[in-house]
Amino acid sequence: MRIKKAGMIFLIFLVSLTFLTGCRDNEEIGTSATGVTTIEFWTAPNPPQQKYWEQMAREFEKENPDIKVVVTPMKETPSSEAYVISALIGGKGPTLAENISRGFAAQLAESRVLEPLNSLRNLNVIQSRKMEKTMKAWVFPDGNQYVIPVYSNSMLVGWRIDILREIGYDQPPETYSEIIEVTKKLKAKYPDKYFWAKADLADPTAWKRWFDFFLLYHAASNGNALVQGNRFIADKEAGMKVFQFMLDLNKEKGLLSKQVKDPFETGIGIFTDLGPWTFSYWKEKFPEMKLNETFTLAPPPVPDGMKAEHPKTFADSKGIVLFSQKSEAEKRAAIRFLNWVYKDHKHDLTLMETTLMPAARDDLLSNETFRPFFEQNPVLKPYAEAVPDGVPVMANPKYNHIQTIIGQQAFNQVVKGKKTADRAWTDMKKEIEEVLEDE
Amino acid sequence: MSDKRSNGIGWVFSGPYLIYTSIFFLVPLVASVFLAFTNWNLISPEYDWVGLKNFLKALKRPEVFAAFVNTFKFMALFIPVSLALSMLIAVIVHSLPRFRSIYLAGFFLPYLASGVISSLIAKGLLSYNSAFNVFLREKWGLDIDWLGSPFLALLVVVLMLAWKFSGYYALILTAGLESINKEVYEAAMIDGATSWQQFSKITLPLLYPAIYTVLILAVGVTFGIFTEVYQLTGGGPDNATTTWQLNIFIESFTNLRAGYASAIALIASAATFISIFIIRKILELWGKRHGWG
Repeated sequence: MRIKKAGMIFLIFLVSLTFLTGCRDNEEIGTSATGVTTIEFWTAPNPPQQKYWEQMAREFEKENPDIKVVVTPMKETPSSEAYVISALIGGKGPTLAENISRGFAAQLAESRVLEPLNSLRNLNVIQSRKMEKTMKAWVFPDGNQYVIPVYSNSMLVGWRIDILREIGYDQPPETYSEIIEVTKKLKAKYPDKYFWAKADLADPTAWKRWFDFFLLYHAASNGNALVQGNRFIADKEAGMKVFQFMLDLNKEKGLLSKQVKDPFETGIGIFTDLGPWTFSYWKEKFPEMKLNETFTLAPPPVPDGMKAEHPKTFADSKGIVLFSQKSEAEKRAAIRFLNWVYKDHKHDLTLMETTLMPAARDDLLSNETFRPFFEQNPVLKPYAEAVPDGVPVMANPKYNHIQTIIGQQAFNQVVKGKKTADRAWTDMKKEIEEVLEDE
Repeated sequence: MSDKRSNGIGWVFSGPYLIYTSIFFLVPLVASVFLAFTNWNLISPEYDWVGLKNFLKALKRPEVFAAFVNTFKFMALFIPVSLALSMLIAVIVHSLPRFRSIYLAGFFLPYLASGVISSLIAKGLLSYNSAFNVFLREKWGLDIDWLGSPFLALLVVVLMLAWKFSGYYALILTAGLESINKEVYEAAMIDGATSWQQFSKITLPLLYPAIYTVLILAVGVTFGIFTEVYQLTGGGPDNATTTWQLNIFIESFTNLRAGYASAIALIASAATFISIFIIRKILELWGKRHGWG
């Protein structure tokens, strides 16, 4: 009986111990007794970016044995933002994190968990990396800078040039009325094909507006901010034109908002928003997609009467933030790491070679270090050229809510032909203003 | 064994569960009641006491109202579909002469499947250019917008949930079927009862405890739907598939309004408790008619 009792107590102890072991940290963050400061760097949850930062950390540690950089990919459970927030709530946030958009940074900055980078005297990334111009778009409404943008994917659009040629076009159309004409000809020849086939067009999820509404709206409004502080300052004329364009396409049966697998690659849609991350996927899955043979790249289309050269576009750009609740030793170590990464231009070359995403800097096309890269990857050159035209995510803590409203009240509705452009604009504006006024 | 000693052993065995529940359920519940009266986002050093503002705001919002209505729509579809399916599985498996546990384990597998993976598979199956949809278009000219139509989107989510949970519910029902004395059926057969009469007059009433458990669990599921709608529809079209959990997640982790999200969570809890209470009462009335309770 005693043996059984002792066995039971031991079993309970063992089970408790197993659970508690899960609570232990794998790495001790901070400064150890041997004087080594350990910092944690969270990367985007995609292998190329993780590989790049691991390489940077290893090389940095060789030259700086007093600092250890632990690189960990942030999990998407169920989104990387939710993961960061959960960690901060639990007091387990990293020292540095990349993959932070301007909107998310605005939310974090409002909660005062980010270090204003302009207040850090020892940080000299902006000068050494040649990104003064790029950083101008990253100033927050409070005048501070919280993010060092790592890459800048100014979104372009892809056209199926092979199908365009079949319907009599050698160049992609540039304006809305030209596109409507193309759609009419496309439907006459191929009733089963569409101008734009993408389920996201009818999905209200906030971030999906970056790749449809903002892509078109920034081009139509010359990069209007939509919201400034608590004021709705949108360009009504431009917005209405975007909505009317969607309604006209719907009328011509040019939009397919059902779930479609690889619609552009399979030729169901002849137009798509295209980021540089697509090309490594195509290389593996669709090797037949060749620049100027099957597809071509162009800036986003513009309303009639607007200059179609170098229109503004949405920039899918993310960067690094430094969390303010960390110790001074960790912050100093983090600054040394960032200064080291960005003092050598070759590190940005490694970034582009590993991730195929244009580094967020002003001298991409003029710096000799990068010339061979763009010669080897001509498909990425238009993205580098478009970097100055890119408008990043709005720096507003309510950006998610605002973008959900744009989808629910306006964009998703006009895609389905359920609201007039005027009604969509009025409903959207009213609800966004309510959100902005809300404390 | 003395009562005192017996009580002590009881506490030892239920202790870990009580500690777990206190840490992971009771403390968060108290914290969320507090949060619901503030505008805190959980990471900011500052917050204000806002009284009932979060509750009043939530009650006016269309997406919160849609979550409330949708839960009952999900319930109206999910409960009959999952109960019928699980009953069918349980009856078939119960009638098998051997390998029952292997079949049951097979039906139980979807319960263990990741909601994200099954949603991605569903997305692929329902895509415009999937073999299934191409077949429907070419054979019958049916061009169905599965996730773009409010009713169909709801139905797709219900069918996914039914696929996931039916095997689990079938386990409970099979255990119930195994506990029914075979002599009752023999007596009914001697009296000339048909198969349907045996099922409706004997099996169903005697399965009451198992059905009761399944129904309460199924109601709970409809209040907790998240992954499928998050992955497949984002709550659309036009809030047709939005749920309590989706609203709570979006408000807490994308809009960073944890206080407001807590108010929605408390409203959702109240709706859940009231719904389960009403359903329990209805089930108990049905049980009483057949001699239970």
